[in-house]
Amino acid sequence: MLDTIDKELLKAVADLESIPKGAYNIRKNGKLLAREVTANIDIVTNEENNGIEIHIKPGTVNESVHIPVILSQADLYDVVYNKFVIGEGSDVVIVAGCGIHCGTDKPEGHAGVHEFFVGKNARVRYVEKHYATGPGTGKRTLSPTTRVFLEEGAVAEMELTQLGGVDQAMRVNEATLGPGSSLIISEKVMTDGDQKAESKNIIVLDGTDSSAELISRSVIKGNSRQNFYATLEARAKCYGHLECDAIVMDNGTNETVPALKSLHPEAELTHEAAIGKIANDQLLKLMSMGMTYDEAVNKIIQGFLK
Amino acid sequence: MLELKDLHFSIEEEDEQGQQVVTEIIKGIDFTFEKGKFYAITGPNGGGKTTLSKLIMGINPVTSGKIIFEGKDITDLSITDRAKMGIAYGFQHPARFKGMTFRDLLAIAAGTNDKETLVRILARVGICTIEFLDKEVGSKLSGGEIKKIELATIIALNPKLAIFDEPDTGIDLWTIGPMVELLKKQQEEHGTTTIVVSHNEKFLEAADELILIRGGKIAHVGGFEESLPLLKDDEFCSWKSICEGGTLCSIQ
Repeated sequence: MLDTIDKELLKAVADLESIPKGAYNIRKNGKLLAREVTANIDIVTNEENNGIEIHIKPGTVNESVHIPVILSQADLYDVVYNKFVIGEGSDVVIVAGCGIHCGTDKPEGHAGVHEFFVGKNARVRYVEKHYATGPGTGKRTLSPTTRVFLEEGAVAEMELTQLGGVDQAMRVNEATLGPGSSLIISEKVMTDGDQKAESKNIIVLDGTDSSAELISRSVIKGNSRQNFYATLEARAKCYGHLECDAIVMDNGTNETVPALKSLHPEAELTHEAAIGKIANDQLLKLMSMGMTYDEAVNKIIQGFLK
Repeated sequence: MLELKDLHFSIEEEDEQGQQVVTEIIKGIDFTFEKGKFYAITGPNGGGKTTLSKLIMGINPVTSGKIIFEGKDITDLSITDRAKMGIAYGFQHPARFKGMTFRDLLAIAAGTNDKETLVRILARVGICTIEFLDKEVGSKLSGGEIKKIELATIIALNPKLAIFDEPDTGIDLWTIGPMVELLKKQQEEHGTTTIVVSHNEKFLEAADELILIRGGKIAHVGGFEESLPLLKDDEFCSWKSICEGGTLCSIQ
């Protein structure tokens, strides 16, 4: 059922060697390839027939859902609308991701809107990887949108990674946080050549004692460009922190705009942002332990994006 | 084991009128370091101590002169090549790495991921918790912690020649006494030739030989006791005042 290219893409975006255990939904070239549900996790095609709904029963713990998308068909632009309803008190891991294999000069792309409704005191860890490969010259584009709604006491950790090979990415992350809820987003993007990646983030801290942390790490090689925009808006007593770091190599360019908006006197919002080359003292340290310059650069980038 | 032959180091900089001028920092240093001995380099700030130690590691390029290590001319070798030959350097202000853990760094130095080996190194530098290995070598570490990590990486490299630039800077939890003992132990057990750049009395006392550097030249070489009057001389700047946070000789 899975060919070599499928397996390579699944390995890259979902760490899957074969069909996963537990609940999953694998979409290939715009169509359902395989699906499995469990007693606690239901996956259904939505009414509009353009995506899936994942319902996780309240109290479901230690279960995972894999929902990779793979593309290997020229001239296809696949768009999905996925909705995740995570029941009260559950604790689950969701692994998504999109792998594109481009074998021709025709463009291929994927856009997805993922909406998360995280119930009271529920925890979710969401891992999303993007990767494109293949010998073709067609433009590979990815435009993921993530919307998160956290109810009281809910916790969401989101790891969003773009591994390479994507020519153009336009990412949007939006979140609204209820009382006592907590959100951690960590975004890691590496671009090279003439690639462009943009990330727009709007996080609204709506509930008392909510907290949000957004960490962005960018590595910008070749002539590539990455833009990062983030706004934390505090509407209650809350805590929010933005951290955006970009390592620029070669002729890469970057624009980073962190914004903090406080609409409540007891809100505490902070940010730190840095754009620059690899620090010389880091290179010197690793070289003084016997690494070559190139080995040291690789090690530093590897750690930075880990 | 290490010979410095008429070593010079100059930098080009702009003066107040925007003219390029050449400033000589190291002005002809000749010295031979013997295998297995413990040396302390001291002297007033701006005298060239750190610059000299960086020339030995290859961090700064020599302007003229030669550096011979174990009979081989290493003057034009890279930092990497010198490290591979057995020279190690402990930085005064160690680098901090986002995303890299102490374990990652130590494994590079030790050349192995083996937990037991790493734990043995930790124990030697006085870190008793294994959890410390998974700490990020980032901005959250205290000055004392990062210096311990720096020291551990040098111990893990087990070098023939270990150079430490102001190892006592930023030390809080760690007392200087045990650090001196540790370096002495490395010297005794592994025959490590040790060069410590320091103002601290404990390091100066521990050294087999003191090298006083002033104005880019060696002003004096000798044992601690015989050097003491010179160290106290205002001309050499009081190492005590610097150690205690002062920076200007004239304050004394």
